[in-house]
Amino acid sequence: MNHLKRNIKSACLVLIIILLLQMGYFYYNLFLYSDRWFSDPNNTRIRIDMIDPDIIPGRIMDRNHRILVETKSVTGRNGITTYYRDYHSYSKFAAHIVGTKRYGIGAEAFYIRYLLGYDNNLIERIYQKAFMDQEVGNNVILTIDVELQKFISEAMGTKKGSVVVMNPETGEILAMVSKPSFDPAKEGEKPADESLLNKASYGRYPPGSTMKLVTAAAALEFMEDIDNYIVECNGETVINGVKVTCYGGEAHGKVDLSQAMVYSCNAFFAQVSCEMGWKKLKKTGENFGFNKDFLFSDIRTTSSQLPIERWTDDEELAWSGVGQGNVLVSPLHMAMIASAVANNGVMMEPKLIHGIETRSGRIRFHESSVFKQPISAQTANKLTNIMIDAVKKGTGKKADITDVQIAGKTGTAEVGENKKPHAWFIGFAPAEKPTLVVTVVLENTGTGGSNAAPLAGKIVQKAFGMGY
Amino acid sequence: MDRKQYEILALTFRYWFVLLIMIIFVQCTIRTIRDVFTNRKVMRSSGNIPFLLVLFSLTAFGLLATQSSQGFDFDTAILGVLVSAVILFQFYVFYYLFHGMDEVIVLIVDTLAILGFVMLQRLTPELAIRQIEWFVIGNVFLFIIMLVLPKLRHPGRFVFPLMILGPLTLFIVALFGQESGGATSLLGIGPITIQPAEFVKLIFIIVMSYYLDEKKTFRERIPAFLFVMTSILGVVAQKDLGGALLYFLVFLFMYQISTSDWLITIFTAGAGVLAAVFSYRIFPHVQVRVEAWKNPWADIGGKGWQVAQALIAMGSGGLLGLGLGLGTPYVIPASRTDFIFAAICEEFGIIVGGMIIGFYVLIVLRSMNKAYEANEPADMLLASGSAISIGIQSFIIIGGVIKMIPLTGITLPFISYGGSSMVVSLSTLALIQSVSIKNQRFAKKMGIDDEYEESELYYNEDENKDNYNVDEEV
Repeated sequence: MNHLKRNIKSACLVLIIILLLQMGYFYYNLFLYSDRWFSDPNNTRIRIDMIDPDIIPGRIMDRNHRILVETKSVTGRNGITTYYRDYHSYSKFAAHIVGTKRYGIGAEAFYIRYLLGYDNNLIERIYQKAFMDQEVGNNVILTIDVELQKFISEAMGTKKGSVVVMNPETGEILAMVSKPSFDPAKEGEKPADESLLNKASYGRYPPGSTMKLVTAAAALEFMEDIDNYIVECNGETVINGVKVTCYGGEAHGKVDLSQAMVYSCNAFFAQVSCEMGWKKLKKTGENFGFNKDFLFSDIRTTSSQLPIERWTDDEELAWSGVGQGNVLVSPLHMAMIASAVANNGVMMEPKLIHGIETRSGRIRFHESSVFKQPISAQTANKLTNIMIDAVKKGTGKKADITDVQIAGKTGTAEVGENKKPHAWFIGFAPAEKPTLVVTVVLENTGTGGSNAAPLAGKIVQKAFGMGY
Repeated sequence: MDRKQYEILALTFRYWFVLLIMIIFVQCTIRTIRDVFTNRKVMRSSGNIPFLLVLFSLTAFGLLATQSSQGFDFDTAILGVLVSAVILFQFYVFYYLFHGMDEVIVLIVDTLAILGFVMLQRLTPELAIRQIEWFVIGNVFLFIIMLVLPKLRHPGRFVFPLMILGPLTLFIVALFGQESGGATSLLGIGPITIQPAEFVKLIFIIVMSYYLDEKKTFRERIPAFLFVMTSILGVVAQKDLGGALLYFLVFLFMYQISTSDWLITIFTAGAGVLAAVFSYRIFPHVQVRVEAWKNPWADIGGKGWQVAQALIAMGSGGLLGLGLGLGTPYVIPASRTDFIFAAICEEFGIIVGGMIIGFYVLIVLRSMNKAYEANEPADMLLASGSAISIGIQSFIIIGGVIKMIPLTGITLPFISYGGSSMVVSLSTLALIQSVSIKNQRFAKKMGIDDEYEESELYYNEDENKDNYNVDEEV
C-alpha cells in the first residue's frame, strides 16, 4: 500500500511536470514565432482578394514617405472593379526589402499584419467596420531611403554582393541592397538564380579580416598585457606548429595590436587567438551575436556561426581568429558588430519599420531598442581609434575620399583555390560621433582595400550629402 | 445578419469567451488546490460553474446563430439551449445521486466538451449534433458504471475473458477493419462504425489494475505481459502509432506504480525506445512523421502540410483568437478530430488553448488524489491508470499539434469529434468517479470524515475488508 501511494505520488508529479512543460513550450514558441507563422506565404487567412476585398491593403513607403507600393483599382467594361498592387518604379532598387507576396519575401509578405490592419486595436477595427464603407489597412513606413538605395544599387553595378547602411544609435537601416536583384513590378518574369535571396540578411560569408574586430575586442577585454603584446611577422609565421600566412606573403615585422589591425596582419591575430584560447574568443563572439538565432521583430535574418569548441585544434582556432576557417557571417550581422563599436559598445536591434500610419493619418512610431552590450565603452573607443588609423594610413586608405573621418576595417575573405576572394569593408563615420555604419561585401572581386573600401567611401560621401 | 455586423459582434465576444473560460479555470484551480494540498474540509459545492457553462454555451451558439446572412438561425440557437439543458441535467443528476463523486472533474469535462461542441458547430454543424448525441450516450455509460462498479464484489473475475477479448478485437480490426487516415482502425457494425482500439484502451486499464495488483512474482505476471504485448502489436498492426504509444506509456506507468519494479520498467522503456528507432528505420510512414516534426516548413506542400497549417492557425489566432466564425480553421487538415486544438486556438486564442492544457493538469491532479486516497490496491491502480491515460493522450496529441513531439493521430479526450472517443473518455472518467464514490463510502463506514489520520486507515483496512463487502451485499 505504502509503496503504491509513493508511486502514485511520483507518477502524478511526472505527468504534471510534462503537461506543464508542454504548456510552457506552447506559450514560449507562440510568443517567439507566432508572427512568423502568421505571415507565412501559405497562410490562406491573409490572402489579398483582387475582387471585392474585405480589406484593401495599405501602402509601403520609405522614410521620406515616397510611395513604393500601393493598391490601385481598375473598373473593367463589365463593371467589376479589380484591385492590384502597384509597384512604383523606385521599388526595384529596394526589391528585397519591398518583396512580393508571391515569393513570400520582403515587406509585402512579412508586414502583411500591418498592411491589412490586423495590428489595430479593437476600437479602431470596430470603428472601421461599423462606420466606413470599405476597410483599409495601414501604411508601413520603412526606415530606408530609396534615393540612397538607388545610388548604392547603381554604384554596385553588376557586381554580386550586398551593402548595408545603418544608423548605429537607433539601429535604423537606411539602405540594404543585395545583388543580383529583380524587379518586383515585372510579375510575369521568372527571377534569375539567386536574385530572390536577400544576401544582406540571408547571405553567409566568411568574414575575412573584418573578423579581427571581434578578435581584437576579445583581446582588449580579456588579455591584460595586450598593450605591450608584440608578435613578429615574417609573412609566413609558424604559431604553435601552424603556418599562418599574411595576404600576399607580406612581412609586417614586429607589430602590436594597433599596427596589426592597421596593416591587417594575420600572424598577430592567429597568435592572440591561440593565446586566449577557444573559450574567450567564443564568449566574445557570442556576445556579439554569433551562434544565435536572431529573432528581431522587423527583420528575418540567418544566424552567424563561430564553431569553435573545446576540441577545436590550434589550426582551426588560429584561422577562426582571422575570419577564415568555418566562420560564417551575414552582412547585416557584420553591420551590427560595427555599430556596436561605433555606439560605445551598445548594439541596437536593427530596425526596418519606421512607423505605421493608420487610416486617420496618425503614425505609430516603432521605438528603437537595445539588443545587447557586447563590449565595454572603453574597448569600443580603443577599437575606434585603431579603425581610424586603418583608414588613414592602413589597408582602408581608399575609403578616405571625403572630408568626414571614416573609421573602418577591410577584409579579404579567401573562398577557395582559383577563385577571387570576397572583398569586405566595414566602417562608420564620422569617427568621433558616428551616425552611419556601412558594410560592403562584394563577391569574388579581390581585396577589400581596393574594391570594397572605395565603394564604402562613395556611399558615405553620398549619405552625408543627403544629410544623414 | 450582415457580415460586417457579425464581425463586430464576434470581435467583441472574444473577450467574453476568454473571460468565462478563465473564471471557470481559476475556480477549478482554487478548488483543486484546496482539495489536494490542504487538510481543510471543503464544502461539497459546484460554485457557479454550471451557470457559467450555460452562459458560455448560450452565447457561443447564439453568436453562431447570427452568422448566417439569412437572418437568425433558430436551429443553432436551440442547439445551444439543448447543450445547456443536457449539461445541467447531467450535472445535477450526478450531483444529487452520487455522493462522493468528484463534481469538479465533471465540470471540467463539461467545459472541454462544450468547447468541442461549439467548435464543431462552427466547422460542421451536422457533426455537432451527433457529438452531442455521443456525449449523452457517454453519460449513460458514465451513469451505469458509477452505479455498478462501486457495488461489484469481485471485479477481478472478469479480467480473464477481457484479456482474451481485447487483443482478439484488435487483430480482427487490423484484418477486417476499414481504413481511414492511413490507419485501419474502424469497424462497421450495422449503421455505426466504431473504433475498437478506444474500447480496448478501457479493457487495458481494467486488466492492468485488477491483474497486476494480485500477482506478486514475476512468473505470475507473465500473462499480463503477454496481454500487453499482443494488445500493442494489435494496435501497431492497425498502423495506429498514437494508440500504440499511448498503450505503451500507460502500461509503463501502471506497471511501475503497481510493482515498483524499476528493473523491468527501465528495461521495457529501453525496449520501447529501441522499437521506436527500429520502426523509424523500417517504416516509411514513421519517417514521414519524424521529418514533418523536425522541420514542417521544409516540405510544406507535402509532409509538413498538417503541422505547418496547425502552427499557422495558432500563430494567426494570437492571444484572444480571431473571433468565433472569423477564422478559417477548416483549412487545417482533420480540424474536427486530431487538430481540433489548433482550431480552438485560432478562434478562441492561445489563452484558452493554454487553459485547455491546464484543465487536463487539473483532471490528472484530482484523479491521482482519488487514487492516493483509495483503500484497495486495485482501486488505486484503476484511478491512477485512468488519469494517466487521459493525461498522456492529451499530451501526445497536443504535443503533436504544437510540434513538440512527432505527430501521431489520436483524439483529444472530451473535445475531438468521435463517438468511440467520447464514450470511452467518459467511461474512463467513470472509473475515476467509481473509485471516488468508493472512497467516500468507505470513509463513511469507518465513521471518519475527510479529516482522518492516514495511518489509522492503513491499520484498519485489513480488518474491515470483510465487513465492508458484506455490507455492500445488502
